[in-house]
Amino acid sequence: MDSVKKSWVFRITIAWFTLIIFFAIFGPLLPLPKWDQVFDDALSVTPFKQGHILGTDSNGYDIFSGIIYGARISLFISFTAVFVGGTIGSAIGITAAYIRGKFDYVVSTLFNVVLSIPNLVLSLALIAVLATNVDPNVPTSTGRRIMVLVISLTIVIIPILGRIARAATLSWSNREFVLAARSMGSKDRNIIWRHIVPNVLPAIFAVAFLAIGVVIVAEASLSLLGAGVPDGTSWGSMVARGRNDIEFAPHIIIIPLVCIAFTVIACNYIGDVIRKQLDQRQAKL
Amino acid sequence: MLLPAWSRTLTTTIDGNTAHLRPADQTLLQIKDLVVEFDLGGGRIVKAVSNVSLDLVEGETLSIVGESGCGKSTLGKAILQLPAPTSGSIVFQGTDITKLKKKELRNVRPAMQMIFQDPVSSLDPRFPVSRAVEEPLKIWNRGNEAERSAKVDELLNSVGLDPALVRDRRPYEFSGGQCQRISIARALALEPKLLICDEPVSALDVSVQAQILNLLQDMKDAYGLTLIFISHDLAVVKAVSTRIMVMYLGKICEIATPDELYSRPLHHYTSALVGSVPVPDPERKVSATLLEGEPPSPLDPPSGCRFRTRCPAATELCATEEPMLRLAADGHYVACHHPRA
Amino acid sequence: MLKLENLEISFATNRGSLHAVKGVSIEIAAGESIGIVGESGSGKTVLSRASMGLLAPTATRTGTVTFDGKEISSLSREEVRETWGTGMAMIFQDPMTALNPVRRVGSQIMEGLTVRLGMSKADARKRAIELLGRVRIPDPELALNKFPGQLSGGMRQRVMIAIALACNPKLLFADEPTTALDVTVQAQILQLLSELRKELNMSMVLVTHDLGVVAGHTDKIAVMYAGEVVEYATTKDLFARMRMPYTEALMKSIPRLSTPSGSRLPVIEGRLPDPTKPEPGCLFASRCPYAQEKCRTQHPDLTTDSDGHQYRCFFPLGAAH
Repeated sequence: MDSVKKSWVFRITIAWFTLIIFFAIFGPLLPLPKWDQVFDDALSVTPFKQGHILGTDSNGYDIFSGIIYGARISLFISFTAVFVGGTIGSAIGITAAYIRGKFDYVVSTLFNVVLSIPNLVLSLALIAVLATNVDPNVPTSTGRRIMVLVISLTIVIIPILGRIARAATLSWSNREFVLAARSMGSKDRNIIWRHIVPNVLPAIFAVAFLAIGVVIVAEASLSLLGAGVPDGTSWGSMVARGRNDIEFAPHIIIIPLVCIAFTVIACNYIGDVIRKQLDQRQAKL
Repeated sequence: MLLPAWSRTLTTTIDGNTAHLRPADQTLLQIKDLVVEFDLGGGRIVKAVSNVSLDLVEGETLSIVGESGCGKSTLGKAILQLPAPTSGSIVFQGTDITKLKKKELRNVRPAMQMIFQDPVSSLDPRFPVSRAVEEPLKIWNRGNEAERSAKVDELLNSVGLDPALVRDRRPYEFSGGQCQRISIARALALEPKLLICDEPVSALDVSVQAQILNLLQDMKDAYGLTLIFISHDLAVVKAVSTRIMVMYLGKICEIATPDELYSRPLHHYTSALVGSVPVPDPERKVSATLLEGEPPSPLDPPSGCRFRTRCPAATELCATEEPMLRLAADGHYVACHHPRA
Repeated sequence: MLKLENLEISFATNRGSLHAVKGVSIEIAAGESIGIVGESGSGKTVLSRASMGLLAPTATRTGTVTFDGKEISSLSREEVRETWGTGMAMIFQDPMTALNPVRRVGSQIMEGLTVRLGMSKADARKRAIELLGRVRIPDPELALNKFPGQLSGGMRQRVMIAIALACNPKLLFADEPTTALDVTVQAQILQLLSELRKELNMSMVLVTHDLGVVAGHTDKIAVMYAGEVVEYATTKDLFARMRMPYTEALMKSIPRLSTPSGSRLPVIEGRLPDPTKPEPGCLFASRCPYAQEKCRTQHPDLTTDSDGHQYRCFFPLGAAH
């Protein structure tokens, strides 16, 4: 672990996370223009010009403010989806693998069915169902759009992490110390909490970080398809909005793309570090 | 009505292989017609243990010996209801534990403990030694913190580990033999009556095997245990057992005291097992009784006697009729149509 | 064939330098078989890995390993690799992890034949069937198409042996080949190895923790303790006249059929010395029932008596003091 902590990639990763989480939390308190404030006199300004750190887009929105507010939405969506989906998925996966039998059969079949549908298609379908109003003339509110997005991405995450939890539980619950605990009269609930969950958790964490990356990208893709958060609030929708300006003002699309890329890479790297730690610990056994 | 002698043997044999059982009121554990089946899916059912009966008198050590796949481990686990057997009865201290409800069964568990083959996987890698040994006491809320800690020290001492040195260390810092000692300490924490040892030394160096075998003997004396000792190696169980039961493909072949079994193995399979034990003597010629091949698949066991496909003395009778356990000498039972002279 | 001279191997660990093998000299002639016997931690596995040029990069080595007239350490990685398979081959303790679970047995045997010997697919297949027959696998053609998971432990070990034999090695390393197997299968595998060795005129190194295993199957035995060879003699001589108290203790601790039932088994008390903390005297002194003052202060050298029996003891068994 010490050698990892010393590596510069690790330091950059931590710094990046600190930075975006800081902006996501304290962004609104900073003396910056509002994300939806239109600067009519400054359209498509390149970075560091006319007092706009990262410039403005073709609608006159300040990109830096957009990124900061977008970090809020993007991170909120992805962390919530992975946290909720991971918790539900792990609970189902661990229980199924522990009790085996019919329940396990049903669960793993369901997981496989959901996994066989491409992520984007599934979330698009879910959004279509959940975000449509009875009266087509009333537009859905931003809050509801975000909720629907979170829910649909959560449903995508459940089988991904659920399967990992299930597989890890299968291998751990075959260990003889679990059998020993049962022979001692330990209750199933206690065996799961004391012996299974703590041993399975590192594997779930490692994949959960990868999943955060997946969700950030998925959210951006949904925005490009017009099924994401309404205009200009997440990184993905910033990309979506700027895609027509790519020829004359590429910075409008590049800046949010870089943010997405950095965050995804950082998440993957953290996931990798956790996995390696896990491997090392197991190698010692 | 007085039945002729042959029909009496017939009724006892038809009754199943129970000739070797002793009166139920003298036994700590009596198992009758135990069957364990596994569903492999697709309509394939493996009978890992078929109609095995055995009993244990308090204070004795029964060894169950056979090759992998003979059902010996499955039998050991089935006694603890891990998982519960498909059919048959297991009477432990007067109650049939196969008929108990989950809660009642839980109350019986402390009296029956098990030690496993793989010393490392027997211990949760995250738990320091003290917590591993304390776990059973915590599950049953025995004593307060200080009492439990004292008990853990006492147990570690009795299995030959220095509590001050080992308490806070984790399993991966120990050798296989030491892990096995920790497992023994943990199993003894609840002061069981019956201890089932599933191949406790086969993963260990020869030099360590003897240490663990002696330790188990000492613990048996100190804690008044009754032991079931499962092994694939006859030499390992020789010194520790009161009775030895040889199993092949889910069935009992022979039961006898160790000295009787080695000096006069009646079943051809037992004789082959005796012949395979490596002997540290370069002059010794390879035994002629070396077994050919491997056991057939338990999915599709041979008709009649299950050993007939590898048996040098097999005849047609062996294919058509299954041999039942019968008394051959005092306390010596064998299931064979043509026992060795 | 294989000659180890004054071999020393140590590993850098975070608790200091770990001396795994200390000054080992062993020689194996063509067609000869040698048993290396010792407990876990005696350095026997490190020794066999070093002989094959398979040491981890964290290891430092002095002394020489000569195989077939060439010194292993002077060879490049490429050249060392050349000797594997055709020169030396190895079989391991656990055949399940040594075989690739997702490839058929046949393709794993044929790989060496097509890649190393440049055989055609059809020839390699023929040879694979022949090899499987050679290791007494019933119905070799059927076995060719099976996956390792479909075979029993004994059959998998036979497949490992077939793979090892594929390129006609001159020397076979068997590292605890029967430890994971049942006694009945162990007897079969040992018998098979002995027969194959004679048929193919191969040299063999049998590494094990069990003196009983090597007794009937080797010409010479080297007993290792804490990284040192403590006794080295022909198998016959070793069992007839044990000189080293450690060998005697190891011998006595083997569970046997002749042990009276109900008796306590003789054990070697204590444990191996910490390899990171060198001791001045004989490394076995703390566990030796015959140890005297001299044993605790001076380190015994390997002594050779008139008939070539080597031992590392000041007061060997069977000598008058």
